Amino acid sequence: MRENGKMKNDYKVKTENITVDYGEKRALHGINLNISSNEVTSLIGPSGCGKSTFIRCINRMNDLIDGCKVNGKILIDNEDINNQNMDVVELRAKVGMVFQKPNPFPKSIFDNVAYGPRIHGTVKNKEELENMVRKSLKRAGLWNEVHDRLDASGLSLSGGQQQRLCIARAIAVNPDILLMDEPCSALDPIATAVIEELINELKERYTIMIVTHSMQQAARLSQKTAYFHLGEMIEFGDTSSIFTNPKHEMTEAYISGKIG
Amino acid sequence: MTNKKISALTKKRYSSEKRFKAYCIAALALAMAILFTLLSSITLNSLPAFTQTHITTDVYLDKNLLDPNNTNDLEAILREGPWRSLAKSSLREMVPGVNDRKEKRELYGLVSVIAGDSIKYYVKENPNDIGKKVQINIPSSDDIDLLTKGLIDRNLPEENRTVSNLQLKWLDQFIYEKRVSKRFAWKLFNHGDSREAEVAGLKGAIAGTLLTMFVTLIISFPIGVMTAVYLEEIAPKNRMTDFIEVNINNLAAVPSIVFGLLGLAVFIGYFGMPRSAPLVGGIVLALMTLPVIIIATRASLASIPPSIREAAYGVGASQLQVINHHVLPLAIPGILTGTIIGIARAAGETAPLLMIGMMAFIVDTPHKITDKATVMPAQIYMWANNPERSFESLTSAAILILLIILITMNALAIYLRKKYERKW
Repeated sequence: MRENGKMKNDYKVKTENITVDYGEKRALHGINLNISSNEVTSLIGPSGCGKSTFIRCINRMNDLIDGCKVNGKILIDNEDINNQNMDVVELRAKVGMVFQKPNPFPKSIFDNVAYGPRIHGTVKNKEELENMVRKSLKRAGLWNEVHDRLDASGLSLSGGQQQRLCIARAIAVNPDILLMDEPCSALDPIATAVIEELINELKERYTIMIVTHSMQQAARLSQKTAYFHLGEMIEFGDTSSIFTNPKHEMTEAYISGKIG
Repeated sequence: MTNKKISALTKKRYSSEKRFKAYCIAALALAMAILFTLLSSITLNSLPAFTQTHITTDVYLDKNLLDPNNTNDLEAILREGPWRSLAKSSLREMVPGVNDRKEKRELYGLVSVIAGDSIKYYVKENPNDIGKKVQINIPSSDDIDLLTKGLIDRNLPEENRTVSNLQLKWLDQFIYEKRVSKRFAWKLFNHGDSREAEVAGLKGAIAGTLLTMFVTLIISFPIGVMTAVYLEEIAPKNRMTDFIEVNINNLAAVPSIVFGLLGLAVFIGYFGMPRSAPLVGGIVLALMTLPVIIIATRASLASIPPSIREAAYGVGASQLQVINHHVLPLAIPGILTGTIIGIARAAGETAPLLMIGMMAFIVDTPHKITDKATVMPAQIYMWANNPERSFESLTSAAILILLIILITMNALAIYLRKKYERKW
């Protein structure tokens, strides 16, 4: 459940000296980044700079990649997620993820959203499950479009709807944190606008980290922005100051379009 | 200048494309022609085997003869009745004046050696007809069968044909009396093997094939699928798994007779399993089918897009849940296709069964996996080796039936693939 008793200064996610190696190749060189609750944090930077790799550390998705080694400390609510006592299934229930390409299961819309609650046993009966599905679809702004065809395949939706379905699927398990890996890169501008509006609403409830290639999107959406370059975090701070008054020359070069 | 050059090149390109297309069509036409020739020659050869000449015989089911002690016990009558001599005497009644021993033998040669069994079977079905005069269709001997189908030329000199002049005369009399008829040869499906072509059927071989395939399926399918799931989804990618993979691929290329030797040495020799049994045959064919199923299943699992796995892991599914809820259901069409094709291949296999004694003359229909049995391809091989001419068409008929079974299995595979195929 969500913890509101924490002090405001306490960070939701703290990372200390994260390094990631793919075999011989080092993808992240010691990242220190602290994320506050109920904020949107954007990760920007040129392709291959390690921003996706970084957010995949937060829910340990990198465990699934052969030869990928993550070192360093990641604390969520002051708990080390790489600790042996941390169950990765519980972690991923707490840290939801939305991927670059909409990837609904080839099942019905209802089953897509119901999958998480079902495997985690967070609902007791059919009625609760239906409530949960309805609530999640409403939060993802999809309910009005699909409420009369919950049995239809998730793949029958448009790209933007599929992505919102994936968001509904992620929030149906009641996570604290939502990781979004370029959630709009496969969508047209209208669908993108809908998702951005949705993210704005979702930050009331969730701590959101979003990887994006669009600097306008980062500027519109996020309170904090981190600029990554070649596996290093160059600069991190309030979005407004990063975009108006970058401290590092590389950040300035990137946001003014000179590199990337 | 350049435009001319390009257009000259384009012409050349188009003509080479046309030539390539023509080669491809020619290759396809050749393949179709070969297939068509094969199928049509088998079908044409097999046609005579699907009908059987019968001679309608007048039989007096004399109660005093069949049940001399007046027991009215049908089972005892069936068991002890003088069926053979009854068939013979009935024939003599229809052709009066045959007394000479040689002539008698020729007369009896008109009908099958199991003519008595036909009468017995009639009585078993119609016990109330005892004491009546009835007409029973008795299968003719295979030579008479060939003659009525035109496969023996009656204009040949007597010494060059297997039907004597006297038999021809009687047969013509029967034809005149409308006693000779051609009926569908049900014996193909409800009789076991026999040395006599007119009663030889495939029931035993079909049952043997089904039992063997059953054993093959229940062994190779679960082991194959689980192996593939482990190798593809769970095992770490290292030298050990590479080594195993190479070995499995090699196993698929091992000559099938080697598996038969293994079966003989290990299952029969060491474990003392019964010879000629579908149990051993099934195990041997399962070993042969395993690599096919493993390779097909792995290919099918590998074709599931990783985004589905990520999505499931992303909401917190465990590895087992990801496999059971998402990956396996999506891979099922490919797995089933691979399995059915592997089993169909095994169903047409003879060499490994040769080593474990399933290439044997077995009359009885097997009921258990430990009964002695033979299989369709083995039956075809044995019939093809028989000298009697009637077996020629029987062999073709057996090939045709085996082909129909295999084509049905392949069609089922295609149907399953189409039905469960999903796109994303």
